[in-house]
Amino acid sequence: MNGLPTVLVIDDEEVVLDSCRRILEKEGIRALTAGGGEEGLRQARELRPDLVFVDLKMPGLSGLEVIDRLRAEDPGVVVIVITGYATVASAVDSLKRGAYDFLPKPFTPDEFRLIVRRGLERRRLVLEAESLRREKELLRENFAAIVSHELKSPLAALQQSLYALNAAPLAGLAEAERQRLQKMQARVDDLLKLIHTWLRAVSSDLQAIRGDFRPVDLGAASARAVETVEPHARRKGIQIVVEGDPGPLLVQGHEGTLVEAMVNLLDNAVKYSRPGGKVFVRRAREGDRVRIAVGDQGVGMTPEEIRRVFDGFGRGKEGTAGESGHGFGLAIARRIVEAHGGTLGVESEPGRGSTFTITLSATKAGPAG
Amino acid sequence: MAPKARLLVIDDDPDYVDGIRGILTAAGYEVDAAYNPKEGFDALRKKTYDLLLLDIMMGRGAEGIMVARKLRKDPKLSQIPVLIITGIREQIAFLFPGQAIHPHFVEVDELVEKPIEPRMLLEKVEALLKAAEGRKAKKK
Repeated sequence: MNGLPTVLVIDDEEVVLDSCRRILEKEGIRALTAGGGEEGLRQARELRPDLVFVDLKMPGLSGLEVIDRLRAEDPGVVVIVITGYATVASAVDSLKRGAYDFLPKPFTPDEFRLIVRRGLERRRLVLEAESLRREKELLRENFAAIVSHELKSPLAALQQSLYALNAAPLAGLAEAERQRLQKMQARVDDLLKLIHTWLRAVSSDLQAIRGDFRPVDLGAASARAVETVEPHARRKGIQIVVEGDPGPLLVQGHEGTLVEAMVNLLDNAVKYSRPGGKVFVRRAREGDRVRIAVGDQGVGMTPEEIRRVFDGFGRGKEGTAGESGHGFGLAIARRIVEAHGGTLGVESEPGRGSTFTITLSATKAGPAG
Repeated sequence: MAPKARLLVIDDDPDYVDGIRGILTAAGYEVDAAYNPKEGFDALRKKTYDLLLLDIMMGRGAEGIMVARKLRKDPKLSQIPVLIITGIREQIAFLFPGQAIHPHFVEVDELVEKPIEPRMLLEKVEALLKAAEGRKAKKK
């Protein structure tokens, strides 16, 4: 709404148009009037009003149709219907079509002024929401680009030099120095992985994997995920126990991302397990569904924490070894599972641990074995 | 001892170049570096190289891709094996929507992500050189 707010009134009664115009102009509002639907739509297209009043009962184009077409052209336009014989049914109909409110005829100047003010306030909010949404979208896209180049390049250069140092004949280095070098390398590696995960969260189009779906044995995929996480678990003294159905659990999917989802769940379970604890992977087939549950006996979550656990950007609590909780892994896991038409559920109790369960549809005509 | 082969790196990040150069020279390769596409082409015209290591995201965008396209059109240079080293896999996919991650800018190329582990770097370089040898032998 730059400059004067603009209000268009579409009504077939000359008297209504005149009095509305007078009231609006007194309020410092640019007033447009139209005696019928076609004329009103033409003006709306040309003059882009913020708020449109539409009489429901007009000869020619019906009020409801006018609403549809107004909103098709500008989804952000605020429409208020004027209804002659305040029938609830027609008002409800128009609200269903996206009208913001209704004004029963006859109305007083004060009633009109009030509803105009409300309508314009609504318009302001709609525009604000729209610009925020655009800004968020832009931020999201740029964030990916900025992170990828500005952060990743210097880290890659740093890591490449560390690799070179490590590969060179280390005659001059004492064992302690060599270890320090390796630690630096490990930390830079963690940072690069974190950036990669961020990028996954903001930029990758997971729906695209649907094109690559083929039969995947979720049991075998979970074994691969366990293999990936095992070294890290062992360092923390945590045992990963796999139980349940040992047979193949066939689903239609994308193996790479399914493994990634399970690795994220396992990483999370290890992160919040106490040293010496156990992490369970339970595989089950129930009717036409396949389930993989990843459970821990760790710190658990409160209902409030559970509510935000898949949000991504929310900073989670620290792991039991002080690992940072950036929370992207779970958000990505959920997006992956949902891209497969499945669900990722969670149950948790503070102090007792959490269990995340992936449920997917089993492939019916899988090969025997 | 004569160098195993002569390589050229085109990458706008001198620190990064330094990192891979260290690994490659230690393995017995002779390595030249160019820090932008223009320098890179100058070097390619002046000397003969057995392999090119090419960065994609240079300058203001994917200038490495322009380098690769120009190489492909040049009858003399199109035979050089190219190891494409890129910071970002997803951006590559972005630039070539609908194509596989590995876009084959030139006849023979490989794509790896930064940073690249020494063992993998040496393996890829060796494999590309060997394949190029094989093609040369066939032509004769």
